[in-house]
Amino acid sequence: MANYEPPVTDYDSIVENCTCAFCGCNCDDLDYLIKDGHVVGVRHACRLGASKIMEDMDQRLMVPMIRGEDGELAETDWDTALDKAAELIAGAIRPIFYGWSETSIETMHHGLELGELVGAVLDNQATICHGPSLQAVQNAGYPISTLGEVKNRADMCLYTGSNAMNSHPRHMARYSTFPRGYFRPRGRFDRTVVTLDPKYSDTAKMSDIWVGFEQNGDYEFYNAIRAVLKGKKLQKEFISGIPKEDVEELAEAMKNVQFGALFFGLGLTHTLSKQRNIDIAIQMVADLNSYTKWILMPMRGHFNVNGFNIFMAFETGFPYGVDFARGYQRYMNGETNTIDLLTRKECDVFMVIAADPGAHYPGGAIKHLAEIPVIQVDIHWGPSTEIADVVLPGSFVGVEVGGTSYRMDGVPIWMKKAIDKPESCRDDEWIIKELLERVKKIKAEQGALASK
Amino acid sequence: MKTITFNQKKTSQIALEFDELIPDEVYNWEKADFEKYMVPIGNSRFPLTDYFDIEVDGSAEAPEEVKMILNGDYGRVKYIGTKMGAGEIIVNGPVDLHCGSQMKGGSILVNGDAESYAGREMEGGSLTIMGNTREFCGCSYIGDWRGMNGGTITIHGNAGKQLGECLSGGSIYVKGDCDILAGIHMTKGFIQIDGDVTRWPGGQMKNGDIVINGELGRLLEGFVQEDIVENPEIDGKDFSGKYIKYTGDIALNGKGRLWLDAEKNRHLLY
Repeated sequence: MANYEPPVTDYDSIVENCTCAFCGCNCDDLDYLIKDGHVVGVRHACRLGASKIMEDMDQRLMVPMIRGEDGELAETDWDTALDKAAELIAGAIRPIFYGWSETSIETMHHGLELGELVGAVLDNQATICHGPSLQAVQNAGYPISTLGEVKNRADMCLYTGSNAMNSHPRHMARYSTFPRGYFRPRGRFDRTVVTLDPKYSDTAKMSDIWVGFEQNGDYEFYNAIRAVLKGKKLQKEFISGIPKEDVEELAEAMKNVQFGALFFGLGLTHTLSKQRNIDIAIQMVADLNSYTKWILMPMRGHFNVNGFNIFMAFETGFPYGVDFARGYQRYMNGETNTIDLLTRKECDVFMVIAADPGAHYPGGAIKHLAEIPVIQVDIHWGPSTEIADVVLPGSFVGVEVGGTSYRMDGVPIWMKKAIDKPESCRDDEWIIKELLERVKKIKAEQGALASK
Repeated sequence: MKTITFNQKKTSQIALEFDELIPDEVYNWEKADFEKYMVPIGNSRFPLTDYFDIEVDGSAEAPEEVKMILNGDYGRVKYIGTKMGAGEIIVNGPVDLHCGSQMKGGSILVNGDAESYAGREMEGGSLTIMGNTREFCGCSYIGDWRGMNGGTITIHGNAGKQLGECLSGGSIYVKGDCDILAGIHMTKGFIQIDGDVTRWPGGQMKNGDIVINGELGRLLEGFVQEDIVENPEIDGKDFSGKYIKYTGDIALNGKGRLWLDAEKNRHLLY
């Protein structure tokens, strides 16, 4: 019991039914324990969510900063920092506004207006995670349900390329595997859990069936399942390393459930053939719907990564990587996505909002970021701060400020405020709105000069 | 006949967009028109003559009478020949994304490599790439089920992933090797690959022909071996030698035909 942490008992108040600001599960049953204006404990959350919500104030960005000629970040006032950021944005030829997945829809609204005004590319973390899923959805449709339906109805939950036990710890507990549902009164005992993954992951350990097909074998495996569903007798002895009898048995089992739910993660989206893996998985689900009810859902990571994609698709018709350079929206993978623009060294000003590309991007992209002006709107000091030229400290959505987010199944959820933000910080929404106003002013001045 | 020659003066890190500089648009332009033209770069426009010296010889009454010769490195020039309906473009160097995309007629010759999306949604004309090309050559736009539906693409080097994705007409010839999923979602048309193919050609194809004269790494389960055919006639063309004929992708009741050189693909015979 060396790692035992006693429950927090020293707190002033409890804020109930808060929404977690960690992953796409958006668990909205959390209770925050508040003392001296800080969250000192979180009930019902997983370890990942709780550790994020009980933020480490040592790492908190508290005041605006600008990098000086000596290469060091120096504290400044809000007006100076915002003017500097607005000047950079207004003067850019190929600006990118990236991130958005850990802030509110309300902030995105102003970001979109700013992006349109200056002809920027607006992109989010989907560009390095579920982008292929979004492309596949555009190709093959989206047979989805809510997580509530999964909880109440699913008798088979299939995880593919996803280790939910590690990445979304409450997914199985709250939505898919363990909870008792209206039609599944015995919870776990009424469900069959299958994991398709080359690795014997923690999720596989929790499953009834583990299919450990070979790495990069996803497309071939789903193609074989589809062939079986169409009545074909498999010819090869092994499909992606799995005996054909096992493939046929799994296809038969999938046909015979009452409600199946396929959850997929980056293990499917980022192996060989990428969006076509999702495409064929969607079509397999469509095939299964000839026999019974099946749905499919991506395991979205950040708590509002889905929100950005839904918001942008609603507003512009495209879910991410939307380019306004020519005055209207364009979208093309490999051309208007952040990684491509950075590795091709096209971007000349980069604004990162509630994200940390410094921690996740490939080396070539980071190298270019280090060479161009970077504006950071965030709450924590991170690798992106090290390359930022202007730092604008934001606020913690779902803890310090309210806002709308979209759960992984597309259900919008209001994330309420529980505590006050530090006095020297500002709401993300206010920051982006303020930048918009200042850029508008610069553009108006430029227009007046040009007309003279 | 009018010849318009672009000689590159300098390159740009941010890509130039040439979608407005096709024979259909510029056939009646004089040198002064090019000098006035501002080319899109990022969210701005800059004088074309900052980047190119332009010579105009002769005159033209129609796009068919225009030959554009682009000399230099066009590795940062996108949309060359996009939506062109007639005329001729010769690029003496590499080209960037979308070369010949949505072209309806005329011809483009690239004496170099082409980036991704060459010949995307092409409807007619010919696109010849003397070097290699990357992903999605002759493909559809994201979300569309109809890719290239007419014309001819010839690649003398290698091709990247998902060549001829959603091909619904026209012909693609690859003299070199090809990466995964050539002809995925193909519904019509013809693909011939003379080199080796890594894996899974014709995934979810419904119709059309794919001929592979090199070695195929892996075949999808959705293809059924029909026969070994000697000197077959495929899509009106005569081939010599023995070919293994498959139909597929039966995972969606497809009736496409995949032809593999029998000698080089013995390992795939049942």
